Amino acid sequence: MSIERIVKELSAVAANPKGQLKAYKEAGKKCIGVMPYYAPEELVYAAGMVPFGMWGSNRKTISQAKEYCATFYCTIAQLDLEMLLDGTMDLLDGVITPSICDTLRPMTQNIRVAMSEKLPVIFLAHPQFRRPAFGLEFCRAQYTHVKTELEKIRGCEIKDEEIAGAIKVYNKSRAARRDFVKLASEHCDVIDPIMRSAVLKAAWFMRKDEYTAKLEELNALLRAMPVCNWKGVKIVTSGIVVDNPTLLKVLKDNHVAIAADDVAHESRAFRVDASEEGDPMMALCQQFADQDFDVLLYDEESEKNRRGEFVANLVKESGAQGLVLFMQQFCDPEEMEYPYLKKALDAAGIPFIKLGVDQQMRDFGQAATAIQAFADVLAMQ
Amino acid sequence: MSIYTMGIDVGSTASKCVILKDGKHIIAKSLVSVGTGTSGPSRAIAEVLENADMVREEMDFVLATGYGRNSLEGLADMQMSELSCHAKGASFLFPNVRTVIDIGGQDVKVIEIENGMMKNFVMNDKCAAGTGRFLDVMARVLEVRVEDLGMLGDESTKEVGISSTCTVFAESEVISQLAVGTDKRDIINGIHKSVAARVVGLCHRVGVRDQVVMTGGVAQNHGIVKALASQLQHEIHTSPLTQYNGALGAALFAFQKANK
Repeated sequence: MSIERIVKELSAVAANPKGQLKAYKEAGKKCIGVMPYYAPEELVYAAGMVPFGMWGSNRKTISQAKEYCATFYCTIAQLDLEMLLDGTMDLLDGVITPSICDTLRPMTQNIRVAMSEKLPVIFLAHPQFRRPAFGLEFCRAQYTHVKTELEKIRGCEIKDEEIAGAIKVYNKSRAARRDFVKLASEHCDVIDPIMRSAVLKAAWFMRKDEYTAKLEELNALLRAMPVCNWKGVKIVTSGIVVDNPTLLKVLKDNHVAIAADDVAHESRAFRVDASEEGDPMMALCQQFADQDFDVLLYDEESEKNRRGEFVANLVKESGAQGLVLFMQQFCDPEEMEYPYLKKALDAAGIPFIKLGVDQQMRDFGQAATAIQAFADVLAMQ
Repeated sequence: MSIYTMGIDVGSTASKCVILKDGKHIIAKSLVSVGTGTSGPSRAIAEVLENADMVREEMDFVLATGYGRNSLEGLADMQMSELSCHAKGASFLFPNVRTVIDIGGQDVKVIEIENGMMKNFVMNDKCAAGTGRFLDVMARVLEVRVEDLGMLGDESTKEVGISSTCTVFAESEVISQLAVGTDKRDIINGIHKSVAARVVGLCHRVGVRDQVVMTGGVAQNHGIVKALASQLQHEIHTSPLTQYNGALGAALFAFQKANK
């Protein structure tokens, strides 16, 4: 299959999650909605079900969810609730609701109240202290709760060997996505920001073995090509979700390529693998404990501004000339972190801009002005 | 033989054009008080050509900028962001400029200039607080003309705090002040200080270095300029060409293109 064909197929999946959900259901699969962040998707896969990522929507308008949410509320969370309320996600067999940030925590309860008569709502609380033994034990208890609820939906136990098998599938998929991110930068003349986003986004709506097979084929085709001599500028993107094709087209139109990302919906979701040895449930807990450099995770050494340095180094090591922070409106963790991120980027001499975005935005005129001007600044340097 | 270039700044509330001769001399300019999505851009182009007694074909290069810069397909040879053009225009008018504050119809930009080139910038978020639109809304509520705000604010004798920088909330705050009989001139002065406070926050994100130049239509409101200078504790320079600054920068870039 050609590069164009694979990208087109994955872009079609990314653009039509509902169609994908319907197809899996018609094929007799059970599907579980997985809200952000860090839910152990491997357990869903091990149960023979399809994990279905829920990262809001660029097309829907928030209406029914307003009954439950204040105006100044993250649009990703609101749109997830909207899609549950308006019937978009009616085909789901359950939904996992992590509670890692202050917005998602109350949202888990809104969803429980609104939806629990319609479908199983599986609450998940990750440990704040994720690395000490007590944190790992807490995580295990939570993941066991998720596993038990999934077993009820499945109708039988999820065996350890099934979880171990799922970990292998997911590690392979994460490695392929890490490869793709690198290859997309090396071949940014072929893989533009819209394509890059669509290829990575499709992973949230496909069984990972199917997805990885397609992605590895794409990676092989890209690897066989000579590295491009990019005349435009390269940036690192940072934020929660950067998947709006209209916004990404602004990057493309201004010859801005993405060298790497610090985006929760993209690289932050596949940076860390789980061990393929020993107790697979504990391997998943340890995987969460090993996550790092994420604005949503508690940092025991926060006074060192390690995350800021990590992001600054990501820009330098990826060959990017600057960073664009796509800050979700009303995202408290991102807004509170911003001064520290700015300090680290300033100290490293890295140019950057901050753009306020949310999933209800339909006009990107102002963002286009800022991105075009930023491209001018980077080109002059 | 002389080189003639045109810069067109299609803003959200006004369309401006400048024709330059040899990248140095402004030979004509025009301003139509409606912006993108209206007849403003084509009227401004027709007017500037008429003022120069020239036709489009005599232009060596035409460059568009501003919010509606992409809407001029067929009329302009190229488009550039208004930040680059404002930096260019301000550097032409004030060769020692280091900081440009541009308050336009729907956004605020602060640009750091080094050696006549844009080095860094910040823009406001998508909310209209602190922009020309904010002042339009306030003028409407106060039943005064927006161009009279500066003069009326000068006559203020009493401090009135407009605490909110959100356009919607500030509007209801102003209505509340009117309801208790507060003098309009004091309210206007409070509005100017409120806008300045918002813009000062943005300025500090980039850093403020002399010379500070203010561009855009709002720079014509000396109440805002005065409040900004006071809060920033820097002298602020403006030009009678302030509204044409973006179009001037576009015409200067057009000259560079034509000269290549």
